[in-house]
Amino acid sequence: MVSITTKQLPDGKPNFVEESLYEVHKKVHPRAVSGTFASWRWALVWITQLVYYGLCWLPWNGRQAVLFNLVERKFYIFGLVFWPQDVIFLSVLLIISAYSLFLFTAVGGRLWCGYACPQTVYTEIFTWIEQKIEGERNARIKLDAAPMSARKLWLRSAKYASWALLALWTGFTFVGYFTPIKSLWDSVWSFSLGPWETFWMFFYGAFTYLFAGHLREQVCKHMCPYARFQGVMFDPDTLTITYDTERGEPRGARRKGLDPRSIAKGECVDCGICVQVCPTGIDIRDGLQYECIGCAACIDACDQVMEKMDYPKGLIRYSTEHAIEAHWGWKEILGHVVRPRVMVYSAILGAICVAFVWGIANKASLRVDVIRDRATLAREVEGGLVENIYRLHVINVSETPHRYAISVTGLAGIDLIGDRIVEVPAAAARTLTVQVRVPPESGRKGSNQIFFDVKSLADEKVAVHEKASFLQP
Amino acid sequence: MLRILWVLWPSFVVAGIAEGIFFTVVDPQELYLFGHPVEFSKIATYSIGFFGFWAVCAASSMMTCLLQISAREVNKGIGAHGGTEGLS
Ligand code: SF4
Ligand code: SF4
Repeated sequence: MVSITTKQLPDGKPNFVEESLYEVHKKVHPRAVSGTFASWRWALVWITQLVYYGLCWLPWNGRQAVLFNLVERKFYIFGLVFWPQDVIFLSVLLIISAYSLFLFTAVGGRLWCGYACPQTVYTEIFTWIEQKIEGERNARIKLDAAPMSARKLWLRSAKYASWALLALWTGFTFVGYFTPIKSLWDSVWSFSLGPWETFWMFFYGAFTYLFAGHLREQVCKHMCPYARFQGVMFDPDTLTITYDTERGEPRGARRKGLDPRSIAKGECVDCGICVQVCPTGIDIRDGLQYECIGCAACIDACDQVMEKMDYPKGLIRYSTEHAIEAHWGWKEILGHVVRPRVMVYSAILGAICVAFVWGIANKASLRVDVIRDRATLAREVEGGLVENIYRLHVINVSETPHRYAISVTGLAGIDLIGDRIVEVPAAAARTLTVQVRVPPESGRKGSNQIFFDVKSLADEKVAVHEKASFLQP
Repeated sequence: MLRILWVLWPSFVVAGIAEGIFFTVVDPQELYLFGHPVEFSKIATYSIGFFGFWAVCAASSMMTCLLQISAREVNKGIGAHGGTEGLS
């Protein structure tokens, strides 16, 4: 575990103002950056958002490819249909996500935060809109300070309106994953949207607007649980955004092209650009802080400065605690990626993934629940036979309709009254009542084990052998 | 401000998880309200369920926040005005 430094105030007391209840929050106006890592961030914005806004429109077998249909209580993911009974897959998926996060964090630090977290991605988009409308960092700071004027009013309204539109679209898309999006779209235009759909659309939209437009880095600092416990997954070989203090200090302004050693200074020219680009408004030169979301904006910014100064790049760079201490290059850093913690995480993750894929591949395509009718226990019917009544819940999990034959075994002379063939449409369930009759001398008094067999007529392998108990009075 | 966030936010997250688990296990149509089957649409039941969970969780967070107030702050409230300043 790596301790995360707390900023020191000039008088040496740790700065807990951040933590305080009456925090004075200064709005952060990050300056736009370009560079390798900025491109990566934008690539991830595009990929994640194309998936998010697009996937819900994709058709599959005449239905929406990805749909978590809450009314039918069925989750469709391409060719797979999940029922509430499949909740195990969902839990395993969550475990896989958690373990991947542990693994990524142990190796690469806050890669998730910096590049993929929705909070980062939407903040990135919202900030971009803000910058297009209100201008660059300095223009925005000036605008903030300026008194209200026609121009300010216009810029503000334009910004808020664009944000609201995007947020609303995000909310609409969100609801579209839970109710079929095409009919949702139609009902928007025929003004027949259900009250709850409308509500959730605005609710989710409002959250997006608030989080990405206004709260931004505060979400990471005060609301995100991951940001709080990430330190536990760090070790001295974890890649983090690091300022090379040894190389940079003592910092100070100077003329271009001057050899820093000739003026007894380090390579940091103290331009403050790394602070200006930081979306969380921290100074990475103070050391690793929990507020740093690892977005690498300061790397891009500092590299540009180094380039202008004709100094080698990488005064701020991805590095590890050990690497900085021992002046390692990339080869040594990579050599230390494989270490016990990483191996344990990977092994567990690999095992769970294999089990998951195996489970999905062998997911039963037919499921049968047998429930004995409790209202009528055993009763005697014509011919002196004893009858028990059952409810069979036959679930066709596959994507094709099936006809199933039902039979019962387990006791001498056992027989079935009622439907012996049941047809169940694709991804649907049917409940039927069957009477089972047995001669009174068959089996012993009390409960006897019997078996229901449900077999697809089309495919022998699709069959279920389900236990039940037969009550002899 | 931050305190409002501390009450509403964790409860929101936990309510989301509780909602997920509860309604995976329970079909809204199997629910009874004062002895009568629930007649709202499923979406309505899910939504009301979520806000129910949220309210309960928020109450718990609120308690935590209340109990976290330092002795000094509580005393200040009682001493100065006999009021609840310290709680705000
Ligand atoms: S700190 Fe939390 S909210 Fe912020 S980027 Fe990381 S995971 Fe996302
Ligand atoms: S310190 Fe650098 S990497 Fe960390 S959040 Fe700020 S700009 Fe991003």
